[in-house]
Amino acid sequence: MASQLLPLELIDKCVGSRIWVVMKGDKEFSGTLLGFDDYVNMVLEDVTEFDYTGSQTKLPKILLNGNNICMLVPGGEGPVAATA
Amino acid sequence: MADADEGAGAPVAEPLDLVRLSLDEVVFVKLRGDRELKGRLHAYDSHCNLVLGDVEETVYIVEEDEEEEETIKTIRKQSEMLFVRGDSVVLISPQAPS
Amino acid sequence: MENGAASEGKDPSGFLSEIIGAPVTVKLNSGVVYKGELQSVDGYMNIALEKTEEYVNGQRRRTYGDAFVRGNNVMYISSDS
Repeated sequence: MASQLLPLELIDKCVGSRIWVVMKGDKEFSGTLLGFDDYVNMVLEDVTEFDYTGSQTKLPKILLNGNNICMLVPGGEGPVAATA
Repeated sequence: MADADEGAGAPVAEPLDLVRLSLDEVVFVKLRGDRELKGRLHAYDSHCNLVLGDVEETVYIVEEDEEEEETIKTIRKQSEMLFVRGDSVVLISPQAPS
Repeated sequence: MENGAASEGKDPSGFLSEIIGAPVTVKLNSGVVYKGELQSVDGYMNIALEKTEEYVNGQRRRTYGDAFVRGNNVMYISSDS
């Protein structure tokens, strides 16, 4: 318990890096984390949106609602890289 | 956030201003569960609870027949006045959609 | 002070003030997409759009002059480059 890292501190360490976001539903995003707030609403850049069908959509810059986020994977490049 | 352009004559400083400007006008409302309403907006609050008068409600129902072909059935209902709970509201538009 | 990051459009409120007036894409949790000019956003992510087009399953369904979208339905707001 010497140095506990709070969850939001972990996310703060990810600012400027690639991050993989898994939503509550069948949706995932990967992108560069530019910033976030206390609700974990996130600004992401160079985003790929992954559909449940496997289709991918590129988005230059988005504000992602924190409400439906399930999990964040620092450095993740999305489901494609994970299964490759 | 939007404070900067307040007083600059911008009618929509915050999103709910769009709803405020629609008071006593006919509005189109999209609800969860493939429902739509068109009626005169009598009142609203910050939850988007609405009171609408002279309302036409349209419900879209997807039906699957024996050949598993999907057809969309629409049901229309008229109401003199109704209350809409805000949590079912998806979209409010001041004008009829085209 | 707190606007240090905001002015660079890096945190959520900074990004939003950066894209006010610009063409945006708003995707809802239901998959429905709205494209229009962003008039304003509030803390609930309620959104006011102008010249709005509605897309269902990728197909254009309707257009609205103005549209208010209730924030709880919003998945993301994307700036159209």
